[in-house]
Amino acid sequence: MSYKELKSRIDAQQVAFLDGGIGTEILRRGYTWASHQLKSEPELNLEIHQDYINAGADVITTNTFQLSKRSFRNHFANNEHLEAIGARGLLNRAGKLIHESVALADKARRSFDHNDTLIAASITTLEWCFRPDRSPDVEKIYDEYLEELTDYADAGADIFLFETFNSTPEAEVAIKAAKEINIPAWVAFVPYKDGRLLGGQSMADVADAMARNEPDVLLLNCAPPDHITAGLEQLAPLWNKPLGVYAHVGKFNPPEWQFTDEYNADQHLQECKHWHDLGATVIGGCCGTTPDYIKKLTQFFS
Amino acid sequence: MSYRIIKEKLAAKESILLDGGIGTEVLRRGIRWRQHGIEDAPDVIRNIHVDYLEAGVDVLTTHTFNLTKRNFINFFRDAEHMSLIGPVGLPTKAMELCHTAVSLAKEALAQTGKAETIPLAGSIGPVMHLFRPDLSPSKDDCLTHHSECVEILSDCGVDFIFFEGMNNIREAQAALQAAAGFDFPVWMSFVPGMDGNLLNGESLSDAADLARGNGAEAVLVSAGNIPMIKKSLPNIINGSPCGAKAIIGRYSPPSWKPDFYPRFEDTDEVSPEKYAKEVNNWMDQGVQIVGGSSGTTPEHIRAVRGIMG
Repeated sequence: MSYKELKSRIDAQQVAFLDGGIGTEILRRGYTWASHQLKSEPELNLEIHQDYINAGADVITTNTFQLSKRSFRNHFANNEHLEAIGARGLLNRAGKLIHESVALADKARRSFDHNDTLIAASITTLEWCFRPDRSPDVEKIYDEYLEELTDYADAGADIFLFETFNSTPEAEVAIKAAKEINIPAWVAFVPYKDGRLLGGQSMADVADAMARNEPDVLLLNCAPPDHITAGLEQLAPLWNKPLGVYAHVGKFNPPEWQFTDEYNADQHLQECKHWHDLGATVIGGCCGTTPDYIKKLTQFFS
Repeated sequence: MSYRIIKEKLAAKESILLDGGIGTEVLRRGIRWRQHGIEDAPDVIRNIHVDYLEAGVDVLTTHTFNLTKRNFINFFRDAEHMSLIGPVGLPTKAMELCHTAVSLAKEALAQTGKAETIPLAGSIGPVMHLFRPDLSPSKDDCLTHHSECVEILSDCGVDFIFFEGMNNIREAQAALQAAAGFDFPVWMSFVPGMDGNLLNGESLSDAADLARGNGAEAVLVSAGNIPMIKKSLPNIINGSPCGAKAIIGRYSPPSWKPDFYPRFEDTDEVSPEKYAKEVNNWMDQGVQIVGGSSGTTPEHIRAVRGIMG
């Protein structure tokens, strides 16, 4: 399927499916996710992507959450300090791994006869996603986004999935950079229990800002189902273009994930039906969801 | 109790040997870095302590650096967000792990028959990332945090408090103030930058003076590489107890971690013998307390013991 076909499906209000958790799936399969495992366990990455394609995902995401040059640089006082004590080639590491991640997703889709799955580049905020207080100065980050997005574009990603964003100003910069590169932008924000963004903005602020920037799909993600519901109830009436959701299930037990049975795949499906009723048509899973969760979704909605 | 032995050594100008890297050793031994490896591999943590004791340390350090409630909260927007999407029990998790960490160090002391002779230093790191002085919070915030840390280690039962890796004067001051309310000897180490001053550019000799003036019985430099440590020594050597420990290898953090992650590569570039030779130079210049930072191993400490005699 080309992106154009997917977009016309989405624009026609048909349901499209994302994949589920990747980092948490690596953890669930017994590995640390500290270094994404792109280099050390490429087969593991490949299998997870394949499992999601088998489950019926239309879009698979790269295993690149928070894989950016800045994330490495953030471990040092300044560039000189990094130069003095940092690992050799550390600043080139993100770019190289981005290429490997897209290549692995591509290899996974090519392993199927009908290799029509699309690849979304997983890109989160430049600073820690759950810390809106650390959001960077948006006047100074355009080039940084452009550089990062260029790596994904060169590697062959079909969609930029800006996910787990906590405020609109940073998302606007990201979308602007995506437009310059001319690859479709999808944007997912984290809602809180009060239905506002984690950074405090209302869904009206989100709708206003996104109406000006026109991502192809606007989504809510990386929050527990009740927070997703609270956000979607407020956002859906204000947004008449494609909407999506992918909630997390379980608990964030830093630096890893605690899998719980609070929302099993069947209960998650019930939540997804409710979100679909509220207007969400692009549906998948975030942290803690597995290929089984996606399979339940695709079986029900297809 | 056994701190008295160290106090006498300090007064007699005798050299004192500390341990080397603990976090880096946990990773080197194949343990996953979550909860400091304490829940997954208590035996490995205990063995690391035993290995340092057998290598001949005069002081044992607890595996509690950055093991704080704040370190967990930092992953979330705030405490409420943590309570909603984090697991039950996370707010008290760090404290519980500290108790286990100190117990493991004590077990290692007992196992080697050194409980009465080797004091236990309770390690407390900076509030935020060791290498990010710009993230260090307000003085009040630092004071609250460090007071909690000292109180926890006091409850655990350590012999003295070792504030490790302070990277700015404001936080150092708050940490010393926090410890002043407790009846503990205190040591403090600072992270040097490239020019031999503090990592945030403040004067290291001012920081050292401040630490001594506020009750620190020893001032050290740590978490810099060998050239950085070398350059910083003139700023802390003044005839009173001072110390140094260097990192070896190169810091190789994963991108997906907002806090210090003790992974170093190319550590074989500084062999135990080479490290011991460097340490010997420091001692010639008047450094009395020596050990190793991230990347160093029990073999490095054994080699240093070898030249100390």
